[in-house]
Amino acid sequence: MKHARVLFNGSELDVTVEENGQLKSKTDGQLINEAEVTWLSPVKEPGTIFALGLNYADHARELAFEPPKEPLVFLKGTNTLTGNKQNAYRPDNIEFQHYECELVAVIGKEGKNISREDAMDYIAGYTVCNDFAIRDYLENYYRPNLRVKSRDSLLPIGPWLIDKEDVGDISDLKVTTHVNGELTQDGTTADIIFDVPFLVEYLSNIMTLKPGDMIATGTPEGLKDMQPGDTVVCEIEKIGALTTYIVSEQEFYGDKY
Amino acid sequence: MTNNPIVKGKLVCVALNDSDQFEAMQAEFSEAPYKSAPTQPVLYFKPHNTWSTEGAEVEWAVTEGQPAEEMVVGASLAVVFGKECCRVSPEEALDYVGGYTLVHDFSLPEKSYYRPDIKGKCLDGSAPIGGSVVPASDIADPQALTVVTKVNGEVVNEMPMTRSVRGVAELISTISYIMTLQPGEVIAVAFPGQRASVSKGDKVTSEIAGVVSLNNQLGQ
Repeated sequence: MKHARVLFNGSELDVTVEENGQLKSKTDGQLINEAEVTWLSPVKEPGTIFALGLNYADHARELAFEPPKEPLVFLKGTNTLTGNKQNAYRPDNIEFQHYECELVAVIGKEGKNISREDAMDYIAGYTVCNDFAIRDYLENYYRPNLRVKSRDSLLPIGPWLIDKEDVGDISDLKVTTHVNGELTQDGTTADIIFDVPFLVEYLSNIMTLKPGDMIATGTPEGLKDMQPGDTVVCEIEKIGALTTYIVSEQEFYGDKY
Repeated sequence: MTNNPIVKGKLVCVALNDSDQFEAMQAEFSEAPYKSAPTQPVLYFKPHNTWSTEGAEVEWAVTEGQPAEEMVVGASLAVVFGKECCRVSPEEALDYVGGYTLVHDFSLPEKSYYRPDIKGKCLDGSAPIGGSVVPASDIADPQALTVVTKVNGEVVNEMPMTRSVRGVAELISTISYIMTLQPGEVIAVAFPGQRASVSKGDKVTSEIAGVVSLNNQLGQ
């Protein structure tokens, strides 16, 4: 089943997404057309957002890094989250901002010291995120630093959370990004270096994982600069396609600019 | 692990904001992997599994199945936002502070600032926050405050805000241009550069004299 959260008539609503694409209210069963809603992040109470750097063998080569021997994990603030078909902004006066299409595993059960063998019992399901980065802001302190990776709106996620049982094996799913209709990123989760069971074991040996925590598993090669006006679609086979509209900093912040 | 009633949403900590440490590290900053000194505040999150409270026992860290050889603690003045704070100037920044409190950051020793220190910083219950939130209206100038930390009654650190590289108002402004801060979110603004080593069972007390104190004890 696909679970989503939307704004409908000014209220937040938990829905399921039906086979025909219609949304069905979990409260009263009302059927709603997608055109009538604003998509929100599908995780109602987001916890810790973990993201992986350099976790695809091909992407590590693209950035001229040796594949890491230990996962490169960083954390993101919940201010970064936004839903499907929403705006994300390009900061003023920068040279290079790129998308990163990523498979996200969402934790469904609290656990610590979880073994690799038991790891999948702690996963509720999956979604797709676009973990934007602004390379101009990289500094070699807690890299990738918060200025690069924790900006408002720069982690679109969704459209929905799909139950893990509906996806099955995640070890060879196509990961693609289209910018304005052109295919710019074309990889597979088969190139992931540290997979979901490994990451659940690794992280839960450090800390307790809780429902609503998310692990964004990194991105394959295929980086491209983004400009206001661009439409980016990040898609993962069997999970979903996430659309984001790039706007200027001024358009995004409006009166607060 | 204890939930904390003060912090909601996120706890942002500022590293390398002790000017003594910043000056002492200049030579190191110019070498690999850093290559140059940071031009921006150096920030990290303490995620929600780390949040804890006044009086709470702090678990002794276990790394790769073994008790950690060493843990350290730093204490910082922290601001708790009273209203949404998005892209504010340093001049107006303090208007967004609801109150002030203390944060203890227990961690493994800080060996490198190059990569996010998940293993060292994200330990369960390693970020007690409190003991109370002092209303911002009671603090005329946060730059005049000093945090004193004692381990088993002996002073191990003193961090006057006058020693910070960047002050409270400047940090709020800079961070608010990266991320919108919501009511209940917290920034710990200035830890002493030299963290204090602690042992199992140690009592750690930090205080801003006459304002607020935070007491924790390491587990066995």
